[in-house]
Amino acid sequence: MTEPIIQFSHVAKLYYLQEDRTFKDVIPSMLFGKPWAKKHSVFKDLNFSIGRGETVGIVGKNGAGKSTLLKLIAGVTYPNSGHVQIHGRVAPLIELGAGFHHELSGYENIFLNAAILGMHKREIEVKVREIIAFSELEEFIHVPVKRYSSGMQMRLGFAVAIHVDVPILLIDEVLAVGDRDFQKKCLDRLQEMKRKENKTIIFVSHNEEAVKSFCERTILLEEGKIIADGTPDEVFRRYNRE
Amino acid sequence: MIRTLFLPFRSYKYLLLQLTQREIKARYKQSFVGYLWVVLNPLAQLLVYSFVFSVVFRFPTNNVPYIIFLYAGLLPWGLFQGSLATATQSLVDNAPLIRKVAFPREVIPYSVILAKIVDFCVSAAIFVVMMIIFRVPFAQTSVPLFLTQLFLTTGIALMLSAANLFYRDIQYLANLLLMLWMYMTPVVYPLSLVPSKYVWLYKLNPMVGIIEGYRSALFQYPFEWTIIYWSMGIALITFCIGFYLFKKSEKVFADIA
Repeated sequence: MTEPIIQFSHVAKLYYLQEDRTFKDVIPSMLFGKPWAKKHSVFKDLNFSIGRGETVGIVGKNGAGKSTLLKLIAGVTYPNSGHVQIHGRVAPLIELGAGFHHELSGYENIFLNAAILGMHKREIEVKVREIIAFSELEEFIHVPVKRYSSGMQMRLGFAVAIHVDVPILLIDEVLAVGDRDFQKKCLDRLQEMKRKENKTIIFVSHNEEAVKSFCERTILLEEGKIIADGTPDEVFRRYNRE
Repeated sequence: MIRTLFLPFRSYKYLLLQLTQREIKARYKQSFVGYLWVVLNPLAQLLVYSFVFSVVFRFPTNNVPYIIFLYAGLLPWGLFQGSLATATQSLVDNAPLIRKVAFPREVIPYSVILAKIVDFCVSAAIFVVMMIIFRVPFAQTSVPLFLTQLFLTTGIALMLSAANLFYRDIQYLANLLLMLWMYMTPVVYPLSLVPSKYVWLYKLNPMVGIIEGYRSALFQYPFEWTIIYWSMGIALITFCIGFYLFKKSEKVFADIA
């Protein structure tokens, strides 16, 4: 394998299922010694690495830990123990419209979103036209984002993320919202990026076809453990058996 | 730790600017009066207070017309209160962002404070015009006072915004305390009115030194350096504690936002 760009060693991650949000609920449990939150363990001892330029699909049932994994890679959250080593900047496309402010127009949001993903002013100015063209939203670009449909928001978000010059791209189930043509356009563009820029792309999806055609490696997660790691064909055979 | 202090200003400068711009713009989108509220709000408060406190009650303010005296205190207090009220909610309001992208989280309360400073500058311009109309001569030295206020505000904002993520009532508590705090600070009345038995206790409030300091700078009153230094010390300590606590708890923000 080429040098690892992402490395997880003995990573453990748990969440506190905090149900209470105000003092009045917490104080009785503090006084009577009840535990104030349940712990939900997502990962106990996760180990794997991803090399530069790999395109990896992450599949698994809902609740297996896929989004948490992406968040750990993106640096949004931290492991409770173990190490997460990421050697390069990450552009995450987790859910729709990261940082979109609904009152601002699509045009203004391009700048905001790109800044959030780490682009600099000059970079953005150069690429604005391309971004708008890719999203196919020229007509609506000056309309406030709150008027956009979810598909339009996804187009805008994706168009920006695609133009960010970072070595690692994380894509979490957002393509599902786009129509078939746009999904194809995105996947084609991702293929191009993979070839020309040697980007590392991590792709979470339930779409077997997309993963098989796009990824050379697939990891199957179940209840926080990697139960399969290999070519998409192998892994899906295993997944479909479950 | 020192490097993390400056990180937002070196590597995330553009993001900080964009978020600040967003704060300012969102104010006037789809509104009738728009950005004018920034000026109308303090002006309206000013009119009400001056009516009540120069016609109904009376405060002695040396040679300075009450309305100018009032504005000199109300304006910086408005900045303090507005910054804290909005900053406390800022992390909660930006929860989706915190859950999706990594960046130093203090950029969010910083952008709120910066946006409020822009508003302050606009209202301050009006104040300068009023000073000219009322022919009040003024001096400088409000800059170190402003910086002191900035450090104090930022320190408290960092603590409150983080706390509010954990317990969502903090913002209500904060608003209540700010309201009380205003009456415990000589904003609408001069410091000389506080009974001398309690004045030492009263002066422990760091905003007292700052507000009185502004008035001394503007109206040529003698400076009370003891309370000004006290305010500066408290502001610095508050900032250090606030920043430390914020950075300590930052790692779990995405899990509870």
